[in-house]
Formats: sequence, C-alpha cells, structure tokens
Amino acid sequence: MEAQLGSPKLFRHSTKPHKQRNYLYVGFVAVGLLIIGIAVYIVSAVLQTGDIFRYTPSFDPSSAQETVFYDLKDYMGHSDGWYRGDQILICVPLRDAADHLPMFFGHLRNMTYPHALMDLAFLVSDSSDDTMGTLKQHLEELQADKDPNMHFGQIEIYEKDFGQVIGQGFSDRHGFAAQGPRRQMMARARNWLSSVALKPYHSWVYWRDVDVETVAPTIIEDLMHHDKEVIVPNVWRPLPEWLGNQQPYDLNSWQESDGGLQLANSLDENAVIVEGYVEYATWRPHLAYLRDPYGDPDTEMVLDGIGGVSILSKAFVFKSGAHFPAFAFEKHAETEGFGKMCKRMGYSVIGLPHYVIWHIYEPSNDDLKHMEWMAQEETRQQREQSQQKQYDRVYQAGFLDVKENWDEEKPMILRNTDSSRGSRKIDVVWEDVDTFNAQPNSKLADFDPAV
Amino acid sequence: MIAFKQVRYLVPLLALIGLVWLIFGGSSTSKPNSPYTYKKIKKNDAIPRNLPADHISHYDLNKLASTPMAAYNKERVLILTPLAKFLDGYWDNLLKLSYPREQIELGFIVPRTADGDAALRKLEVAVKQVQNPKNTKEPKFAKVTILRQDNEALESQSEKDRHAFKIQKERRAQMAVARNSLLFTTIGPYTSWVLWLDADIVESPRTLIQDLVSHDKPVIAANCYQRYYDNDKKEDAIRPYDFNNWIESDEGLRIASTLGDDEIIVEGYAEIASYRPLMGHFYDPNGDVNTEMQLDGVGGTCLMVKADVHRDGAMFPSFPFYHLIETEGFAKMAKRLGYEVFGLPNYLVYHFNE
Repeated sequence: MEAQLGSPKLFRHSTKPHKQRNYLYVGFVAVGLLIIGIAVYIVSAVLQTGDIFRYTPSFDPSSAQETVFYDLKDYMGHSDGWYRGDQILICVPLRDAADHLPMFFGHLRNMTYPHALMDLAFLVSDSSDDTMGTLKQHLEELQADKDPNMHFGQIEIYEKDFGQVIGQGFSDRHGFAAQGPRRQMMARARNWLSSVALKPYHSWVYWRDVDVETVAPTIIEDLMHHDKEVIVPNVWRPLPEWLGNQQPYDLNSWQESDGGLQLANSLDENAVIVEGYVEYATWRPHLAYLRDPYGDPDTEMVLDGIGGVSILSKAFVFKSGAHFPAFAFEKHAETEGFGKMCKRMGYSVIGLPHYVIWHIYEPSNDDLKHMEWMAQEETRQQREQSQQKQYDRVYQAGFLDVKENWDEEKPMILRNTDSSRGSRKIDVVWEDVDTFNAQPNSKLADFDPAV
Repeated sequence: MIAFKQVRYLVPLLALIGLVWLIFGGSSTSKPNSPYTYKKIKKNDAIPRNLPADHISHYDLNKLASTPMAAYNKERVLILTPLAKFLDGYWDNLLKLSYPREQIELGFIVPRTADGDAALRKLEVAVKQVQNPKNTKEPKFAKVTILRQDNEALESQSEKDRHAFKIQKERRAQMAVARNSLLFTTIGPYTSWVLWLDADIVESPRTLIQDLVSHDKPVIAANCYQRYYDNDKKEDAIRPYDFNNWIESDEGLRIASTLGDDEIIVEGYAEIASYRPLMGHFYDPNGDVNTEMQLDGVGGTCLMVKADVHRDGAMFPSFPFYHLIETEGFAKMAKRLGYEVFGLPNYLVYHFNE
C-alpha cells in the first residue's frame, strides 16, 4: 500500500498526459491573448487616429510634382506629444535682441523635447543692433553640433520691419494710452510670423520671448501634459535685494471681472484696455499675484487675457483663425486680445499660478535713478570713512588724550557738587536773627513789603 | 526532453512579451534632466519635406509686394478653394486661367465626409494629370496642397438644406474654420495675393487674376452670377447668385443694435430684411467692366485679397463678429484693420447651376 501510494514512478506515469495537456492549454491561452492584444492594439490605433476608413490619396514626385496631402485630424496635438512625435512650431519674435540671444540658445540646447520635432521660426523686425548676424551665427553653430540629437527640425528666419510706433504724442496726456498703438504693432508682427511659419503638419505652437532668464528644460512637456488649447505659466522676475528680491512680471494674464466688463462697456470702440495702469482699474484677479511658492505646480486657473512671454497652444487654435488682434477686439489687443478671441471661439485658456518661469531683470528709470543714488551714497560713505581715519590720526598726534584721567576724576569732582550724596550735616543757628534789628546803627533799606 | 520542456515554457512567455511589446511600442528612453519618457526617434518617423542641409532658410518679407503688375513682377498667387464636390467645369476653368502657372499655388480643403472623399478621389486624378512629371505639354502649378478638415462636417449639402436660415450660422461657422485652416497653413513667405475661388465657379474670364489685381485694392470681389433657362421667356438668362457682397444700411445697423452678442445677420432671407444694397443687383450689362464700388460685406465665391491683409490677422470669424460671420465678418475685420473693401459689379463670374 505504501509502495503504491508513494511510488514516484506510478505518480509520474499517471499524470504525464494531463501535464502535457496543461502546457498546450497555456500555449493556446497565450496565443489567444496575443490575438486579442493585437485586436485591442488595432482598435485603439483606430480610435486614436479616428476614421481610418476615409480615403487617403498618395502623391509622390513621380506621380505629381510639388503636391502634398495632409489630414488635419492627424495633427490635433496629444497630451504626450513628446512621445507620440507631435511636431511643434516655436515662434520667436525678435527686436534688438542680440544681447539676449546667447542666453536663449543656452535654453534651447537644454530643452528636453526631441529637437527633431521642434521647428523654429524667428521674425527679426526693426532692429538697430546685429540681431540677424548673432541669430544666424548661433543657429549655424547649433546645427553643426556633433550630437545629431541637438539638431532642430525646420528653421526659418523671417525679416520684416513694421516701422516706428506712431502716435507717441498720446503719451503727453496719458502714458498708458501709447500702449495701444505699440501693442497693435507687436500684434501684427506676431500674426505675420505665425501665418507664414505654420504648416499643416504642426500639432503645437509655442510662443517664447528671448528674455527669459530661468526656465525648466522640460517647459514644453510641463505645459503640454495639461492637454489644454492655450496654456501659460506664471512669469516673475528676480529683483535686487533692495527691491525685495522678486516681483510678478507678466500682468497680462488675468481673469475677467465685472469691473473689467463695466470699464470695457464705457469705452470707445477703438480703445485698448491695458492691465497694470491705475487709469484702468479693472479689479481683475491676476495670475501673477496668485502664486504660492509652495503650491502644486500643476494647479490650473481659468484665464481670459494672457501674456506673451511663454504660450503653448494647440496648432489648430491658430489654424482655425485665432490670432493676435492688431485692432481693438473686445477692447483688447495682442496677447490679451488673443486670450479673449480664444474664449470667444470656445477654447480653454489656462494659467498655472504656481509654475513659474523667470524673466530677466531690466531696471526701470526709477530703479536706475535709485541705483545711481545708491552708488553715490556708497562712495560718499567710503570717502567719509577714510576722512575719519585721517582725522583720528591727526588728533592722536596733536592732542594728549586725558579721557582716562577724566573718567577717574569725574566722580570725585561731581561728588562735591551733589548735595544729595553729601554726608555732612549742616546745622543752621537762627537764634541771633532777631537781635539784628536791635542794633542801633543799622538801617534797613527803604522797603516796605506791605505796600 | 528537458530542452523540449523549456521550449514549451518559452512559448507562452514569448507570446506575453510580444503582447507587451505590441501594446507599449517598445523602444522608449528617458533623459537625465526630465521626468518624462521619450521614444527613440527613428529616421523614417520624420515628416517628409525638403530641407536645406543645415535646415536653415532665410526670407526677407520686406521685399514681398502686391502690385497691379503682378504677372510682370512674378508675384505668387495662392488660389484657395474649399472643395465639397469636384466639378469638371471648375477644374477646366482653373486650367484656362492665363496667369503664369508657375506663379500659382493651389490649396484645397475637403470635408471629412463621404462627399469629401468622392471629391478627393476626383481631385487626385485631376492633379496627377497636370502635375505629372511625364506631362511635358502643360506647365505645372508651383505647389498644390490638399487638406482634409479635422472635424466632422454637417453631412447634408443639398441646395435646400444648405440655405435654410436656421442652420446657416453653424454651417458658415464650420466653413469659416475650414477657410482659416486652409489659409493659415498654406500662406507662405512668397505669397503676394490670395484668390478665394469657390468650387462651383465654372466660368470666368481667362484673365481673372490679372483683372482683379490690376485694381490694386486690398480686398476686391467679382460679381457672382448664375446661368439658367428662363421658362417664361423661353431663353437662356443670367441671375445674381452671391448676396454676401453688400453695402451696410441704416436698417442693417438698426437690426444689429437690437441683436444679442451671439446673433448674426445673414443676407438673402426674408426673416431679416436689412435693405442693404446688394452688389448682385448693381450689374449693368452696358456699364464699364472696371467700375468699382465700396463694400462692407463680401462673399467668398471669387475674392482677391492682398496677402498682407490676411497676414495682419484678417480671417474668417467662426463666431459672430459685429453680428457677422465668415466672409462677411472677414470684410468687417479687414476694415477694422484699416483696409478698404471693394466690389466689381460689372465683372461677372458664373456659378454652377444645380
């Protein structure tokens, strides 16, 4: 009995066919899973790309020259575009920017978004410095880099001068009124850039000013993963210590308020509201002021107007016609008007209050005056100190210092003048005072106190 | 025996690995300074395009001009057509235009519908005939760009449905988006003029482009008519077709002031009688063909625009802009940007008759 139960030979023999069936079964399940997996993969691919049953023509130089076909649905932009291979257009408006370009190209090289997926478009306008030369030199260096991962996609440089801002006379009465024409000019420049640079195969558009000092290399991914049509970070700037170390920079990112709407209604059709001037008190909540340095960087805030330092937008926003109004659109122009127009077209416009990029610090005129005063004050103090040293030396040489003696003698001398501290008791004898009148030869002054 | 056993273990294991690989796509990589996952880029992933060796090109847009002597100055003209259906008459007329073809770029956008697919197939055949390198008889267009709209279009495009007042706003908003998508992805650093030509324009003078640019206006519209058979008079006749070319009227402004922000005025409907003077009614068969009239609203059937107007931002609003939408909104926006808008009442192009 023991032999029967415990016999390994018997046990193995009886279960062998069963085990084989087991392996076969596992194999079939695996193959089945594989087939299901492939089916799921195809279905998900179909769902992602939309209707694959649409007809797609094929053009190549042998069948049709200079002919291209694009299905715009393939370029709608994904929340993980850096993985899916979304082509992104980087738009950079430049004006007298030669000084800032080295810093900008440093940021560009560090960007983690795959460089081949990034197309660069620059618009150089009305520059009196060598912006063009500096730009070309940096670009050629960049594209000649030994590391092919450093090379960017298509790079286009456009040149267009828009002339000086007209209507400076405005500023005599209202400093802020000159903002209108200035911003309309900048809006035109932006529109020229995006309209000539945007191609059907771009999925995203990123607007970036060159004078950003500190920014995460993952800026594009950080903004893109929110999957919004238009999104901006918070923009601050560092300040010298005497000005409080840091300050909100971009006040163009705001949420509309009742005060703002009321003001807009009261203004002329061509008026442009510009944030950050006391003349236009709108009481709007600004993205910049809502920053909490310890807040979650992914916190979102709905905006109506935005600033242009760093805007990530899905390309279809621009394809469908949204642009930077170079006229008063709902009383706003340029980037603020762009925000308003996007809202009008039903797109989401989002700001990240706790995710910050840092603009360079350019001192204002008042700051410059203050800095000049500080410099003068410093030299004055230095001069005073050295004069003091010289004075001390002359004093020591020419005079005997008796301060120590005096410190010793002072209490002794003062002790005699201080009656409260005296120990002598003084007795006054008054007894012969009445005999004074009795003296025969004495005479009182002619004075009668009673009169 | 042991080796065979291992193989049997390997089969499901390999199958699972294969499954995972298929689903997650394999080659991903990370970067030291980024928390995100990236895909290893393969050479054939890139969008095919002709780039210079260092990928850098330079364009001086200060030299770009739009002059009345466009053909002589070799200015590029971009002809844009939203193409819901392909008419042989349209294509034949396009090929007859006498403007130098090597200075013409074409742009088409087809709707995301079965009709759009049908139009696309016909367009493909037509384009492959003209642009074929073996076809040496004909000059070729400088560039042809064909796009498909990203969103589903309203399916019904029959004459009756298309013009029903209720769905006008939605239909024209979609048309506006289609026009903008086409415009802003095809307008390039060489484009001097943009000619909007509807897919159902089947007859125009051969010198259409030269004639329109010769007026040197920022925006100028031809008068769109339609040929038909007059049953009463028993003869061929013509009648006005495009009613979007108009001059603003006091009544139009009064109606606009009573409307809410999201309401629009469209021409040609009894529901809103704006009494706007329509260019369609100003045609004089004996008048000077070069007569110009200033307009406030335009249609898109045959419209010549200096490219600068579009580059400055004038687009086709897909939302009510001063209670106007699409091409009429475009005219208003061009005016807000400081451009003047004109029409040629005696210069006719003909619309297909369904």
